[in-house]
Amino acid sequence: MDLIDNILKGERAAIAKAITLVESSKYSDQQISRQMISELIKKPGKSIRVGFSGPPGVGKSTFIESFGSYLVSQNYKLGILAIDPSSQITGGSILGDKTRMVEISKNPNTFIRSTPSRGSLGGISMGTREASIILDAAGYDFIFIETVGVGQSEIVASNLVDIFTLIVGPGSGDELQGIKKGITEYADIFIVNKNDGELKIEASKTAADYKSALSYYKKLDELEKQVLLVSAIEQTGMEDVIKTINQIIDQNKLKGIFEERRANQLEYWIEEEVKNIIASDITKRLSSKGNISKYSEKVMKNEMSMFEAVETITKDTLK
Amino acid sequence: MTNKSNNGFNTWQKSFEKETKKNFIDARSETDEGIDIKPVYTKDDLENFSFVENNSLPGQWPYTRGPKASMYTNRPWTIRQYAGFSTAEESNEFYKKNLESGQKGLSVAFDLPTHRGYDSDDDLVMGDVGKAGVAIDTVEDMKILFNSIPLDQMSVSMTMNGAVLPVLASFIVAGEEQGVDRSLLSGTIQNDILKEFMVRNTYIYPPEPSMKIVADIIEFTSKEMPKFNSISISGYHMQEAGADNVLELAYTLADGMEYVRAAMSKGLDVDDFAPRLSFFFAIGTDFFMEIAKLRAARTLWAKIMKDFGAKNERSLILRTHCQTSGVSLTEKDPYNNIIRTSYEALSAILGGTQSLHTNSFDEAIALPTDESARIARNTQLILQNETGVTKTVDPLAGSYFVENLTEELSKKAWDIITEIEELGGMTKAVKAGIPKLKIEESATKKQAKVDSGSRVVVGVNKYKNPKEPSVDVRVIDNNRVRDDQIKKIQAIKESRDTTAVEKALANLTNAAKDETNLLAPCIEAIKLRATVGEVSKALEQVYGRHFAKSLSVSGVYGKHFEGDQEFMKVENKIKEFENLNGRRPRVLVVKMGQDGHDRGAKIVATSFADMGFDVDMGPLFQSPRDVAKDAIENDVHAIGVSTLAAGHKTLVPELMKGLKEIDPKSKIIVFVGGIIPEQDYEFLYENNVSAIFGPGSNIIESAEKVIDLITDNLSKV
Repeated sequence: MDLIDNILKGERAAIAKAITLVESSKYSDQQISRQMISELIKKPGKSIRVGFSGPPGVGKSTFIESFGSYLVSQNYKLGILAIDPSSQITGGSILGDKTRMVEISKNPNTFIRSTPSRGSLGGISMGTREASIILDAAGYDFIFIETVGVGQSEIVASNLVDIFTLIVGPGSGDELQGIKKGITEYADIFIVNKNDGELKIEASKTAADYKSALSYYKKLDELEKQVLLVSAIEQTGMEDVIKTINQIIDQNKLKGIFEERRANQLEYWIEEEVKNIIASDITKRLSSKGNISKYSEKVMKNEMSMFEAVETITKDTLK
Repeated sequence: MTNKSNNGFNTWQKSFEKETKKNFIDARSETDEGIDIKPVYTKDDLENFSFVENNSLPGQWPYTRGPKASMYTNRPWTIRQYAGFSTAEESNEFYKKNLESGQKGLSVAFDLPTHRGYDSDDDLVMGDVGKAGVAIDTVEDMKILFNSIPLDQMSVSMTMNGAVLPVLASFIVAGEEQGVDRSLLSGTIQNDILKEFMVRNTYIYPPEPSMKIVADIIEFTSKEMPKFNSISISGYHMQEAGADNVLELAYTLADGMEYVRAAMSKGLDVDDFAPRLSFFFAIGTDFFMEIAKLRAARTLWAKIMKDFGAKNERSLILRTHCQTSGVSLTEKDPYNNIIRTSYEALSAILGGTQSLHTNSFDEAIALPTDESARIARNTQLILQNETGVTKTVDPLAGSYFVENLTEELSKKAWDIITEIEELGGMTKAVKAGIPKLKIEESATKKQAKVDSGSRVVVGVNKYKNPKEPSVDVRVIDNNRVRDDQIKKIQAIKESRDTTAVEKALANLTNAAKDETNLLAPCIEAIKLRATVGEVSKALEQVYGRHFAKSLSVSGVYGKHFEGDQEFMKVENKIKEFENLNGRRPRVLVVKMGQDGHDRGAKIVATSFADMGFDVDMGPLFQSPRDVAKDAIENDVHAIGVSTLAAGHKTLVPELMKGLKEIDPKSKIIVFVGGIIPEQDYEFLYENNVSAIFGPGSNIIESAEKVIDLITDNLSKV
């Protein structure tokens, strides 16, 4: 495929078109997309995929603008996949992330793509994993995946990346109750943003709260979770972030955790893909037969038990 | 409510309900501000007032009836027409012509690069030089601007907020080099930065240092320029951006309170500077509401200043300039604008304004021509000389309706002011983006009312003119202006004492670090021929440049169209598109260059999203190349360019070039909306623009055209 060659050459338009394909809900696009990804996966680049999540209002995009500027100034190539939370259930979305990434979006060494989350589980949209494979093949050093932190999203997002960061604001220590065990297993780094001006004391206090809470949940054989203080607007603490990321990646590689994670993710992905295909196939069959309503009427009229109806429909559909 | 025992009223109500076949309560109509207007007002409506005092007199507490006892009976309002044309030479000619024909003060409009602190030779401002106003790069330009205009006799109003320091410094130096001491200079500098963060976006630095600069100017002028108004606290641009009158009133006064606090923090006594604070309001087409707004503004400000501890009566009095609404002007059937402007002018006068600008009818399309400017000025001359409105002070006082409306507006505005104060004042509110979002919500509602036809705009959505008249507009050769300015900058840079300039600029940077008053070191640098851009950069080293976060409202537009046939038609086309293409149509809405008026872009973004488009919102002040990169990376189907400051002739071709450079096979289509003179249409189409939407375009129709164009374009191989 021409497209694959052009992606490997790092052509901006080709990368963009390829991401459109992997996000498409059209059947023929999905077929092409699977073939393309199968090819690209054979030609892995060297990217490190970093997930950034956190509640709305903590300055995620501003942090990414600030941290991203630091990385490009160090001559790294940076791809950003921003899952925009502003989508509505009806109607389209307003994708405003770029208004908060003014400086890095101009830089020729960045590629920034926003995707509406469409209310899908965990704020991860269809195609995010594939998009990161495309950017990897295209030669980007870092791939950032930015998601809005609500409920399940951290877990889904952490399944796509090599290292997962949670961004929080000063005073969010109170929310520690909410994060408890689950999140500590998924996040590798906690970044306390807004360590500036009037909020400085509060930010330090929050970082201390996180540290003590995290040590409480730490498992014996686990790496210490890192808590970092940064200010996105004053661009301070950025060297610490990249140093910490590199440290964790190096250690994980040494211990084989890096490969293990990627292997687990691949396994999970294949399983998800198979499930998705089966599920969409079943949905199609169910709707083409259209007999659920027929059976539900029977159940309503007491001509059949609920259990019998489910059994019959299942057998019929899987035939 | 009305006294039920009143027999006369009951009889009236019966007759009313018989005539209209409507319940009296249902016959009320709701304004944009959420005020219920009753079909009749009576004496009972003058009771239970908390703000308006029924028996007050003009020039007396709480100044509802006017700042002076005699008002226009002694001296009519000042006719003050805002103008600026590309170069200092042309503007100077224009001013002299206006002064000869009866105008008393002059008002300068600057071009966008000057506002944002860039010199004309900066690559970032390629498309903006000389657009929407005059380019000032050095004090030499300022001197040409006021050539043969004695600055000790002429009051000069300057609309400048971002680059206030270098521009005010240039004005002072120009005066001195004319032989006029700064203490004799009279006029006003807008210097109202807070509203820039809300609506107009011509700021340079972040909110806190910007507020410090405002305070510096108030401090300096209060000590050294006793005849100069240090600030013009402006609601105008809020209404232009779509704010209703309550929002305009409340936010303007809340801004004013923040400036008072900033000045007091410098150790100034409130009475040292408060008499020199002035205001600026927009006057739209809602006739009585606008009158009530000015009366309410004075009433509330007196109360506010009393609370600040002002002792001097002049500190309590709100004095204001007004301008008729630009956003009420239409491109369609443009002569209607003369009529709109006349009624708006009458509102401003009945509300008791101190000075007035009346818009030219062609301002929806371009800068005014000599002819249209003459009509605009004559509108005021006729009001002053032929109608008799100057003979009685505050003639609407005692009107049940107007007094009640004044009270209602005051109450509603006071609630919002209280909210802002509880947030910790306007600087904090602005940083959180709250006022901006409220104004955008109000703007979107207004647009939806026009598009759905529930608000009639003559010549636009009803009573359309089958034979649209063609109007001659002023054309500006932007490239010539830019080249001339660049030559002038080069000549000055060659002849000045570079070491001295560098030293002066370094002093300025240090002053910013030391937090001392910045105006004096600015004057030094400007005197030595430092440029506006250099001065701005010297401060930027300490303060940084501000980038605004953009928040968007959603669902506001769509709500007005539940069940609307046209709206559903577009929604269905989009659903069909999604089924066929595997994704929604995706559009990038952008502003390019230094034009920060983003009301139109925001309304298009939110309404298109409500119809089902995925809309990418670009940041402000993008270069065409940034836009091209953004569009291609997000693989959008179309780019919508919003343009209000005439930069499109340079910026759109650059965008096309940028797209082709990144992707020679790019199929992204480009449409343009905003203020575009008809003369430019052909040029834009020749540059492969797919569609052009002028002011007053119906958004649903525009959206339908865009989805059709995208569909057509995809079917072409």
